[in-house]
Amino acid sequence: MFPKDTDVPEKSRSNLFIGLFCIAFALVLIFIWIPLDTKTGIVERARGKYVIGDALAPTVAAGFVLLGGLLLLMFERHAKLQPILSLSKIKFVASLIAVIIVGFGVMRFAGPIAVEVANMFRDDPMEYRLLRATPGWKHIGYIFGGMIIVSGIIAIVERKMSRRALMTGLAVVVILIAVFDLPFDDLLLPPNGDV
Amino acid sequence: MDILAYIWLGIQAVFMGPEAFSILGISISITVMMVLAGFLFGILVGATPGLAGPFAMAISLPILISVFGYTPDALLPVMGFLIGIMKGATIGGAVPAILFNTPGTPDAFMTTLDGYPMAQKGQAKKALRVAHLSSASGDTFSDIVLFVCAPFLAIIVESYLDLPEKTGLLILSLSFIAAVIGGSAGKGLISIGLGLLAVYVGTGEDFYPRMSLGAEGLSRGFPITTAVLGVLIIGAVFKELEEIWRDSQSTKPVQTPTETGDQKLHWADVKRLSPIIARSAAIGTCIGALPGVGSTLAATLGYTVGRARHQRTKAADAPEFGEGAPEGVAATEAANSAVSGANLIPVLSLGIPGNAAAVFLILAAESIGGFNPGPAVFRFSPDVVNPELVIAFGIFTCMTIANIFNWTIGGVFMRSMGFMINIPKSLLLPAVLLLTLTAIYVQETRLEAIWFALGFGVLGYLMRVLTISPLPFVIAFILGRSLEQTARQAYSATGNDPFFLFNNPIALVFILMSVAVIILSGRKSKGAARE
Repeated sequence: MFPKDTDVPEKSRSNLFIGLFCIAFALVLIFIWIPLDTKTGIVERARGKYVIGDALAPTVAAGFVLLGGLLLLMFERHAKLQPILSLSKIKFVASLIAVIIVGFGVMRFAGPIAVEVANMFRDDPMEYRLLRATPGWKHIGYIFGGMIIVSGIIAIVERKMSRRALMTGLAVVVILIAVFDLPFDDLLLPPNGDV
Repeated sequence: MDILAYIWLGIQAVFMGPEAFSILGISISITVMMVLAGFLFGILVGATPGLAGPFAMAISLPILISVFGYTPDALLPVMGFLIGIMKGATIGGAVPAILFNTPGTPDAFMTTLDGYPMAQKGQAKKALRVAHLSSASGDTFSDIVLFVCAPFLAIIVESYLDLPEKTGLLILSLSFIAAVIGGSAGKGLISIGLGLLAVYVGTGEDFYPRMSLGAEGLSRGFPITTAVLGVLIIGAVFKELEEIWRDSQSTKPVQTPTETGDQKLHWADVKRLSPIIARSAAIGTCIGALPGVGSTLAATLGYTVGRARHQRTKAADAPEFGEGAPEGVAATEAANSAVSGANLIPVLSLGIPGNAAAVFLILAAESIGGFNPGPAVFRFSPDVVNPELVIAFGIFTCMTIANIFNWTIGGVFMRSMGFMINIPKSLLLPAVLLLTLTAIYVQETRLEAIWFALGFGVLGYLMRVLTISPLPFVIAFILGRSLEQTARQAYSATGNDPFFLFNNPIALVFILMSVAVIILSGRKSKGAARE
């Protein structure tokens, strides 16, 4: 969808490494993973006749990967403008993933923790599971977790945490609650399907 | 029932379906309103740099399904909305390309070459009018070709192709897509192979879910939404965010172009532009009919052909292509818009999606049920009504309605969308990310789906960084089960013949063509590497 890629240095040999990785991965698939993790072979004998087994389709898929790797090695190893996967890109995407995981972690546990805190001031204890359809309680996790995800990613991209990032995070979760939750009784916002 | 009766039923299904409201006693159906809403939303999304039609389709689908449910009545309103987005985004993409030199959608890149110089010369509104005229013309022409060709192609496929040939055709389609998308046959094959592998995890006919590593989570396989939205949308968001982070371009001030002189599009302009629009529309339609060949190539070819004609026929004082020629805007917009309708030819007649928008239409059909795009749709059963054929003609009606909206209100709405450039991508994309993850969760209602989607998102990001197109992955994921099922049936139907692909002449031709297209593409890549 977004074909532009601006950082394709002249000296990269990434096609060679992608090709070698794909060949190795395909061989592991064909000779180790698929045979060990599939109960029927490429062709099986069932009720006196041969039928296609479950291993054939993934083996064909691995064949595509193998062929692709070989083509890269044979025809495109010396192609100009090969891309490079730099450490900074890996770190950047890892930081995005970390923020999302933390956000979903908070989303998962914020509601139950809020209920436990409320229970300290009540005589009859409540259970979050029974409150997951109750407005207010059911939104706690989504609001905090969603804000962490949106505001955190904005802060990473803009290289600073700002009030604008926090307000955007809050506005986004409120809008999404209005879109997904308020009009529909049968939809469950995260994490309410798992608690 | 004859074909006219089916067409009439399709039109009735759209106009006489559930009512949204009535004006002066005239009932306005909900499907018509959904086409309008999708069309306007599509223009808005297309005019927003960083978003594209598939984004909007991805995030709308779960909401639409929640509103309309999983009943056959839901198909036309949902499909109508998605078709509206597809068409709206196509014309919306030209707005920031012309006004701010920033293509709203990838296929509008070529529009910047002449659109932005026109805007700099004070001709922004005129450039937008040229873009709208060309886009609407190309789109309408392409739709007419779709309406005529898709049923005939489907009937031919159903009449002449049996199970072995259909297996061969699926393999040929995958090989062709691998060879043409992204410009590297090797990387295309890797993308196809990974997509097939992903769809085969946790499936199969045996009691044990294959390749699941004994893990409960993998034993149910990867939900289609996690793979499609993960690789196509989340991966694209990660890549866009990384580019903003690297370039720190998100806070650049935006200059609104000033306007001078006559901004109207006169009849003389239309007459002058018509031959260029007609050629580009034909080029875009031919390109669009081939699965996997995108609108960017169509725009490039349309522009190249248009430039050659312009150099021969232009007046001495008229600007060259690249210097603000209206013909340049017309050539690219007519070509890239003509792709959208023709791209549905392989979808509706063969069940093979050719681009990201088609992927989401198939996803909608699969999610709701009751309509399986493919040659069986166009079975003109004389005695019993084929409901899928009624839906197909209903879809054609929705496309025609969207075109009418495009011709009547599209231009005005498009020209008012210049303000969308002011929404910073650094704020918009994290919101799109949370929206996508929420949309996945409300459909799957388990956190496991979020982790799968994130995993596919990282894969989509890595593929983009390594210039491996993610579209073949998604198409292979969608076609994978159908390929395996057809091969199993073909094997049984040919009396367990292991060489069923080679003993049947048409299937053999398809397989030979698959091999040839990969070898030719590989040799072309080698030649390009040597230059």
